[in-house]
Amino acid sequence: MSTAIVTDSTSDIPSDLREELSIFQIPVDLTLEDKTYLDGFDLSRNDFYTRLPTLKKLPTTAAPSSGRFQRLYEQIFDEGYTNIISIHAASALSGIYNAARLASLEFEQIIKVIDSEQLSLGLGFQAIQAAKMVQQKLPLNEILNAIQSVKTKVHVFALLDTFEYIHRSGRVSWAKARLGSLLNIKPIVELKNGQVYNRGLARARSKGIQFLGETIRKLGTLEYLSVMHTNALETGKRFIEEFSPLEIPEPLLVNVTTIIGTHVGPNGIGFAAVVK
Amino acid sequence: MSEEQSVTNNKSIDGVQYKELMNAGLTWLQTNQESVNALNVFPVPDGDTGTNMVLTLQAAYNEISNSSEKSVGALAEKLAHGALMGARGNSGVILSQIWRGFSKGLEKCETISGKCLVEGLKQARDTAYKGVVRPVEGTILTVCKDMAIAAENSLNDTEDPYQILRIITDAAQVSVEYTPELLDVLKEAGVVDAGGKGLMHIFEGMVRFIDGEPLDIEPVHVQPLSVIGQQEALNSAEPGQDYEVIVDFQPDQPLVLENYYEDLEKIGTSIQVGEGDGIYRMHIHVPTEKRYEPIDYTMTLGTITKVHIENLMIQVDSPTGAQPEEPLKLAKVGPDDLGVVTISPGSGFSRIFASLGAAAIVEGGQTMNPSTQEILAAFEDLPTDKIIILPNNKNIMMAAKSAAEVSVKQVEVIPSVTVPQGLAAMLRLIPGQEITDVAKDMNSAINDIESGEITTAVRDVEIDGIDVKEGEIISLHNGKLVGSNKSLEDGCLIFLEKAKAEDLELITMFHGENISREAAEKMTEFIQEKYPDQEVELQYGGQPHYQFIFSIE
Repeated sequence: MSTAIVTDSTSDIPSDLREELSIFQIPVDLTLEDKTYLDGFDLSRNDFYTRLPTLKKLPTTAAPSSGRFQRLYEQIFDEGYTNIISIHAASALSGIYNAARLASLEFEQIIKVIDSEQLSLGLGFQAIQAAKMVQQKLPLNEILNAIQSVKTKVHVFALLDTFEYIHRSGRVSWAKARLGSLLNIKPIVELKNGQVYNRGLARARSKGIQFLGETIRKLGTLEYLSVMHTNALETGKRFIEEFSPLEIPEPLLVNVTTIIGTHVGPNGIGFAAVVK
Repeated sequence: MSEEQSVTNNKSIDGVQYKELMNAGLTWLQTNQESVNALNVFPVPDGDTGTNMVLTLQAAYNEISNSSEKSVGALAEKLAHGALMGARGNSGVILSQIWRGFSKGLEKCETISGKCLVEGLKQARDTAYKGVVRPVEGTILTVCKDMAIAAENSLNDTEDPYQILRIITDAAQVSVEYTPELLDVLKEAGVVDAGGKGLMHIFEGMVRFIDGEPLDIEPVHVQPLSVIGQQEALNSAEPGQDYEVIVDFQPDQPLVLENYYEDLEKIGTSIQVGEGDGIYRMHIHVPTEKRYEPIDYTMTLGTITKVHIENLMIQVDSPTGAQPEEPLKLAKVGPDDLGVVTISPGSGFSRIFASLGAAAIVEGGQTMNPSTQEILAAFEDLPTDKIIILPNNKNIMMAAKSAAEVSVKQVEVIPSVTVPQGLAAMLRLIPGQEITDVAKDMNSAINDIESGEITTAVRDVEIDGIDVKEGEIISLHNGKLVGSNKSLEDGCLIFLEKAKAEDLELITMFHGENISREAAEKMTEFIQEKYPDQEVELQYGGQPHYQFIFSIE
């Protein structure tokens, strides 16, 4: 009796950690100027973010087909796993969850498809927690409960450098209303229950970052922390120096998947924190 | 249709014909791909609906294009498999489920009879609905359902599958047009559902193929009404085409778009035609002498409901950069929203406040203090009981407080005494929060910003130990006099020094109506040179008397 953990490339789990925890990952498609790339395989993130502001047409993203999920699940069962927990990007924001769900219906074995209601490490930490418990050989229902628990304890915030991309993505209705703003303003957003909420607006970047840092402090003792950025490595490093709590001196630092970056734009910074 | 006829028309679709029809559907969908993409407003889909549907159907068709299989049932199964593997985006996933259901209905069919086709569509509908976690009406699902219903009903009249294809395509068209009635986001955006339209095009392509009509002619591009705006026109103003003309009209006869475009091209450039709810909107750039021609010409086609003419060159050259003709877009508030009323000393500031979500704006400032009555009148009629007032000036504070006392509404007055403070407060207006929390946030935000005012002294005076001569440039930092100088440059620099701008990040300059855009831009460059580490931004404030209002943070 062994369980495989599957997630998708929007989870942003660094590859070495993914290998260490034996997490399977399905890449999401990204179409850039009529060429389709598999997220994380054939386009470097650096390259992507450098090109992003110059593109006439925003890149588009597409969920993997349920057929590709089916193939992956088959492979996993062929490798000898007996059941699968498949955790994916918020269903309210992406079709990935639904594609996985449809594929799971084709199997008689147990495949638990879970809507993380999150993105990036907000999703990633759910998969990481599950994979750690699989390694400890804990029972399936305990693992599923733990995933639910992480889901309720994870807090994901970000400071976007501009409204432009989130507006153009068309996925967030309040961003539409703010487009007309004549001043350059930077939205602070929270991702919760699969929804993107506006939590503040900043004009100076330093103030927005301060807001994020204070938000972390107010959360209390943390179990996991990750700092995410869209090609703003230096800002990410400084953020960690200034705001990492004592219990997590070296949080994960990741350049966010292009799939999310398309909707965020370059120079964004944020975090995913799981409260103890 | 009589019973006798329906028996004689009892044809069927064999494997070869099935492949041809699917190919026709794909080709016609490709031809219409961009117009389907243009409808993409639903906030959840992955990527472009038209593109995703084409790629899904292409992958599906590839599975059967070179197959020697004769049985339609087997071909439909192959096609469904291809769709499943190639499905992209939500619309692609649903499309793949439609073909999957369709193939189930055709399982035992060597050829497609009318009955087989109807069974296929019924199964397509059922499978499509199961393919979605939370089915939403007004989408491709509804269109698929309406097609299945029309197909079932058609069996009373005919068993000819070709005839049924026509009937369901007509039903799809009606269903697509009705989608905005079922889904508010579509109605608000003035579009029909993209996925539903894509599905309709697939079957429309089959009917066109049967009728021998071309499948690869690029249809004239009709955009949703809402996307045709002045903003884009402004960016694309070309020399010689000085006027922008926008005409809304209802054609008397169905509009032949090809002809309409062709005639418009003789008059001008940047032609766009949009449609929504039976109203067409035409947008064109024309030379000065032809500015009335598009109107006269369009009038021959129907009833004109609205005309907008704008001199683009004046917009471009405007010293202020402001667009005086465009009305302020104030935030619409509902009973549960917070309404922010702000006092603004100039048209530029009014626009900025409106763009940040102000529900009412009262013009006023240093030399024109609005009365309690004027402030009260601005918010008494707002459909909410929760009001925040930003006075943005010391001399208006009292009137704002009186208005709050007189009103029966719950009113919070934020003690903002400068416009930059008011703007800083405005950024804390987050939808869905309690009025007391927002007021608390705003109160702390106004202390977190440095305000500056630069103006010309109107008489000799000595204040705070500073000797001011009439005509000199005086500088105020957070309302306090900090310098009197001969030049505007020095006036700005002394303020920036007192405000410790070198330790901060962002310097925003709002220029007044008494200084030209050009002069203001020069000053911005000058300050950027002096403060290379700071971001310097210039905006039009439009305030009287003050050359510049500064906001530093």
